[in-house]
Amino acid sequence: MRYDALVVGSGIGGMESALQLGEMGYKVLVVEKGPSIGGKMILLSKVFPTLDCASCISTPKMGATAHHRNVTVLTGAEVAGLAREADGGFHAKVHVATRFVDPERCTGCHQCEVACTVSVPDQFNGELVARHAAYIPFPQAVPQKALIERAGTSPCTFACPAGIKAHGYVSLVRAGLYGEAFDLVAETTPLVGTLGRACYAPCESQCTRGALEGPVPLRRIKRFVADRSRAAGGRPAAPPERNAKAVAVVGSGPAGLTVAWLLARRGYGVKMFEAAPCPGGALRMGIPSYRLPVEVVEADVANLTAIGVEIECNARVDDLAQLQGQGFDAVVVATGAPVAARLGVEGEDTLEGVIGALDFLADIKLGRATELSGRVVAVVGGGNVAIDAARSALRLGAAEVHLVCLEGRDEMPAHEFEVAEACAEGVQLHDRWGVAGLEGGSRVEALELKTCLSVFDPDGRFNPRFDVGGHDEVVCDTVIVAIGARPDTATFPSLAPGGARALVADSATAKTPVRGVFAVGDAVSGPSTIAKAVGAAARAAAMVDDWLQGRRLEAPVAPLAVVERADVLSRQAGYAQRPPVAAGLRLGPAPSNFAELEAPLSEEEARSAAGACLDCGVCSECHECLAACPADAIDFAMRDSDVEVDVGTVVVSTGYHLFPAELKPQYGYGRYKNVVTGEQMERLLAPTRPFNTVLRPGDGRVPERVAYVMCTGSRDETVGNPLCSKFCCMYSLKQNQLIMGALPLADVTVHYIDIRAAGKGYDEFFEQAKAMGTNFVKGRVARVSELANGNLVLRYEDIDNAGRIVEAEYDMVVLAVGVQPNADFARLFEHGELALTDHGYIEEVDEDLSPGATSLAGVFVAGAASGPRDIPESILHAGAAVAQAAAYLESAGARRAAEVGA
Amino acid sequence: MTSRRIGVYICHCGGNISDYVDVPAVVGAVRDEPDVVVVRDAMFTCSDLTQQEIFSDIVEHRLDGLVVASCSPKLHTFTFREMARRAGLNPYEYTQVNIREQCSWAHTDDPQGATRKAISLVRAGIAGTRGTRPLEPTVVETTQRVLVVGGGLTGMRAAIGLADLGLAVVLVEKTATLGGRVGGMGPMFPHGRVGADLVARLRDDIGRRPAVTVLTGAELVAKSGTYGNYHVVVAVGGERRELAVGQVVVATGFADYEPHIGELGYGMPGVLTLPELVSRLDSSHGPLLHDGRRVGSIAYLYCVGSRNEEHSHCSKYCCSATVHTALRITERNPGARQYHVYRDMRTYGRNEEMLTQSRRRGSLYLKFADDDPPEVAREHGRLEVTVRDLLSAGEEIRLPVDLVVLVTGMVARQNRELVDVLKLPVGRDGFFNEIHPKLRPVETVVDGVTICGTCQGPKTSAESVASGLAAVTHVGAMLKRGVAELDPQVASVNPEACNGCAVCVEACPFGAISMVGAPRPAGGGHRVTPAEAGSGEASPGGLVAAVAATGCKGCGACAPVCPTGAIDLAGYTDAQVTAIIDALAMDLPGPEGRTGDVVGPGGARLRVAAEAPAEVVR
Repeated sequence: MRYDALVVGSGIGGMESALQLGEMGYKVLVVEKGPSIGGKMILLSKVFPTLDCASCISTPKMGATAHHRNVTVLTGAEVAGLAREADGGFHAKVHVATRFVDPERCTGCHQCEVACTVSVPDQFNGELVARHAAYIPFPQAVPQKALIERAGTSPCTFACPAGIKAHGYVSLVRAGLYGEAFDLVAETTPLVGTLGRACYAPCESQCTRGALEGPVPLRRIKRFVADRSRAAGGRPAAPPERNAKAVAVVGSGPAGLTVAWLLARRGYGVKMFEAAPCPGGALRMGIPSYRLPVEVVEADVANLTAIGVEIECNARVDDLAQLQGQGFDAVVVATGAPVAARLGVEGEDTLEGVIGALDFLADIKLGRATELSGRVVAVVGGGNVAIDAARSALRLGAAEVHLVCLEGRDEMPAHEFEVAEACAEGVQLHDRWGVAGLEGGSRVEALELKTCLSVFDPDGRFNPRFDVGGHDEVVCDTVIVAIGARPDTATFPSLAPGGARALVADSATAKTPVRGVFAVGDAVSGPSTIAKAVGAAARAAAMVDDWLQGRRLEAPVAPLAVVERADVLSRQAGYAQRPPVAAGLRLGPAPSNFAELEAPLSEEEARSAAGACLDCGVCSECHECLAACPADAIDFAMRDSDVEVDVGTVVVSTGYHLFPAELKPQYGYGRYKNVVTGEQMERLLAPTRPFNTVLRPGDGRVPERVAYVMCTGSRDETVGNPLCSKFCCMYSLKQNQLIMGALPLADVTVHYIDIRAAGKGYDEFFEQAKAMGTNFVKGRVARVSELANGNLVLRYEDIDNAGRIVEAEYDMVVLAVGVQPNADFARLFEHGELALTDHGYIEEVDEDLSPGATSLAGVFVAGAASGPRDIPESILHAGAAVAQAAAYLESAGARRAAEVGA
Repeated sequence: MTSRRIGVYICHCGGNISDYVDVPAVVGAVRDEPDVVVVRDAMFTCSDLTQQEIFSDIVEHRLDGLVVASCSPKLHTFTFREMARRAGLNPYEYTQVNIREQCSWAHTDDPQGATRKAISLVRAGIAGTRGTRPLEPTVVETTQRVLVVGGGLTGMRAAIGLADLGLAVVLVEKTATLGGRVGGMGPMFPHGRVGADLVARLRDDIGRRPAVTVLTGAELVAKSGTYGNYHVVVAVGGERRELAVGQVVVATGFADYEPHIGELGYGMPGVLTLPELVSRLDSSHGPLLHDGRRVGSIAYLYCVGSRNEEHSHCSKYCCSATVHTALRITERNPGARQYHVYRDMRTYGRNEEMLTQSRRRGSLYLKFADDDPPEVAREHGRLEVTVRDLLSAGEEIRLPVDLVVLVTGMVARQNRELVDVLKLPVGRDGFFNEIHPKLRPVETVVDGVTICGTCQGPKTSAESVASGLAAVTHVGAMLKRGVAELDPQVASVNPEACNGCAVCVEACPFGAISMVGAPRPAGGGHRVTPAEAGSGEASPGGLVAAVAATGCKGCGACAPVCPTGAIDLAGYTDAQVTAIIDALAMDLPGPEGRTGDVVGPGGARLRVAAEAPAEVVR
């Protein structure tokens, strides 16, 4: 694309530049970093010295800029680089941030904003109030389109192997939207209750709050959501509209259930085949009830049957072709890892009392458990299944339970907390031992052990080394073997060609070598976790859907980069520690039943815990806006884009930054709530003011005594700014008058060095403020301190009265903050940077005769980017920049014409 | 009258209106007005969102009339006309009703009364809108030449800027040479560049631009014509030159305040003004001398002739100029004691650095209270300044000095002839007034006349040049299109009703009406050449009046004087005005609150809607 002029920034200087160039007939591209044009002026209350309503006189400019036939506006856009072209113009790269809202569809109806569950400080209201992550910047914003602020993917969500929007359900619970939280998890898996209990919650280990008093208890919040849903009789799921296609799912563990659920929700007829007497796979048959009660799994499974998924139990499938012949358009194999590994020692199959852990746990769940009363049990293995077996054995009355594993305690595959809980219940741990043999006649009598020197070889492979001399034995009458499991490859040899140890499926598409057959979960990956199986299943479901619909099988859009936790913590000066939610674990020695160990969170606990969430990604991906948007305009898969343009000239109108008042700590900004900046007072006075009156932020009281501290961050070498910011006196004088208008009883006092009312009508405006009753006290303020009632004491020099040091109490203090340069733009030129002044403003190389001309030919600066300027000065300066930019374009045009002529 | 389809939009103006006017009540009161098909309220009617909504209403409801009740038409008439045009509605079918400046802001003490008045005003606006008809602007080609009045730094730079946009320029300077005040100056703040050098460079630049014609010793004496096509007369050495120009840029500069004799010792030896001091510095080398002796001490008395009852304005440049001068004297007379007796030091922006530097180099600053100015006396042949210094606890300090410098400010230059010729608006401070000091600082209410530099108000030289170039931009944006659109809201004569009395010809302040033999159409969207754009051609023996569309400003002076009612003003026809008055006369006496039966004219009972309207937009 080619434009005559690139205008960077759309404050009053940028809009004026763009409009004037557009009026002259040049094609103009305006690049604005923020989500709306209008700059700082649109957010002001009124303007000095005319006291015109700022938004009333800004909106026509904004509208005219946005709609001008020669002006194109890109919001959310930043110039990323500029290179000089041979014709004197520039090639510009522009990075355009996505709004995650299609501006063509968005009608600006605010429904997303209403539905959004995340609140963040509103930068368009001086951070005095909150706005939502989905928002329209302000009432007069142009374009009047929503956007969703996404800093990236929240660490919890990013960490979830299942792809569950962890941050999303937390923010929904915080908002009291428990049903919606359930539905959000159910967008990924029906196993809401299961994951709320049996997931190892990698999300929590990534939680930014963990760096403070401890992570948000995400798993237990999910359990709360599931329990609440179950208590309410389950969420009545709307039966999806059925399509004509049917899918068979073989195996009903976490992967199978998830695939079936997601496909059924997309309208497929789904039938599940389960070899066991009841559905749920490892959830139902493996994990003990004290961790995962049977009724929880049954409730999760009921989610599927509620939307029409058929589950046939005691139905072992061993012929996929036959299944395909029954009219299933696709078959998904999710048979898990049911084949137990063997010790490989003599007596393993012959001695009585030697049992496999999977069978042992399944028997318990099916109610046909072996009585272990008084027995001495040795469990072999160091994984979670071994722990489950050991703790279950205790509950069945075993007198002693010994856990024997190769690994040292710190390298056991079982989670540390599980080992600790097992030991707390009375399991005796024998780590760094291998099994040398079994002793006994008909029944096992002892487990012979050998010392394990190391488990893994230097390459990290499982390859245990033993000390031939180190022997011991555990006297026992029952041995439970829990040393691993692997997928069943024998039943479907066509899916495991070449003696593969697991079913073979493409990692991206889940396709197996057999057309129409997909495989997923532990059957492919080997034993893993529920969350990983769910994640794989969710991806596979999308692929099966694509395949059945004849679409290209494409990888889903990658999530946004994870948010750095350090960045999150730096958003705020400090964080209050919150009391962590009690662990709620009922642990004790010699447990005698399978009752659930962990107490649920109360509603109050759940909401309070969710309230600790720091909203790392800003948007939580709770998806409420998606449901609320009537225009279907929201798309989380949208991504930033880059635009390249050629331009003839550049007008830089990037404005200024306000001085960060916290850099003057003696004035207490950021610590004392009733100390505000001039910008914040501007918002308190604006027609779109957040509280509809002037009140102090600390306690909402209407202030009776307001003090202004002039030159905060200006004329002050201690903060590195010896310059005068030029317009703070005037905006303060304006605010004085507006405050006295809004609060007729308020006293307003200005602590100043010099009142710089230099400009047409400005000194008259100063006189007007005096006449209205503003008190002017000459002398700098040394410090501000806070009283218990939130009032503030100013210590200052009263020069008018013999220079006494005086302390005076006020209800509210306004810091008249000055300006700081915004020269980010200067670095963007690839050949020759823009020269800056000593103070960091863009330098005007011939200010006397060519104000606005910079060190680079064809690049002009308009407004406060080259030094403090108020609105009319910015407009005049923009006029000067435009006159020269147009002259530059004319001479370039003349050169081109001459070249064409020659 | 045929029935209309009118949309009515009532603005809250974010509280500016709705804090005092019950907007939903206004909506309720007018929603059942005949011809009104949609009524809505909005937080900011001018916001893009509401404009979009009105846009789609125009399309969806096939609106043929539009009323927005919001602020002054000065602010948003063009906003909504433009929006209407984009939506396919003729812009002149739009009426803006002012319920802010003329209602909510004026009646902050009486919300109920303000609400009643707003209802009346909106009804009147609807009544007027019933009589609108589509109008098309007259398009005229513009003259691609600009007259710049004033050959100082600002005027010269503007002339160069205009030429660089491809426009012809005539630069008129009253004195014999170009350069103005800066042309006679030595080093100037903030960059220390010599004024005479700057002017010399501009003179060279002008010399290289054949598009610029310089007339020195010349004065503008007459201006006539219409927007984009003016005839000006310039008197040069007793000769009158007539020129066609598209725009006029005024850059006539300022005058120094002249102290009265006796004012702060003015008239005593050793008491001089800042410009006099600067001129002495610029015209000499080496140490500054007074009475043949090296000057060892100076007191600068600030704000002489500024910020007082006679001249309430601040002259803006003098603080910085004085500090800059003090720094020069520090160089030329090392060790000289310099006392700055001031009220507020206004060395704004980067000029603050000069202030800091001067303090570091020994300048002393003494602040006097506004009501306690310093005194100057001459005793025993020596000047003495007495000041009660607030910075020294109000102590009275006597400063014996060699020189007292009165820091005199800028005042408006007396230029009555030019004001008369251009009808320039003059402010209370004597400087020329812009349309809007905030957003339109170089435009004036006079079509085609732009102001810049210090004739508009005190400025530094760099600020003056910036405003000169801003004037270039404004003029360029207007002329480079090649054509101008003239407001079609002009008068026209019904020739059949005209009795040829020619009273209207006298009444027209713009000479746009003439007596012609045959009827001429007024307005109508046709393209007019500059030659045609003059006044109507009078036809000898003509019997009826005719209005030249390009000359008529739509002021309406002709219509009421016409004895036969033959003249109507498009957009403000007699029928419309009568309807507006009728609507306003149908006052609503005494409803308290927003609901209930009220008594209308003739005892008719009117019902004011109680419930909030269904189509409320926030």
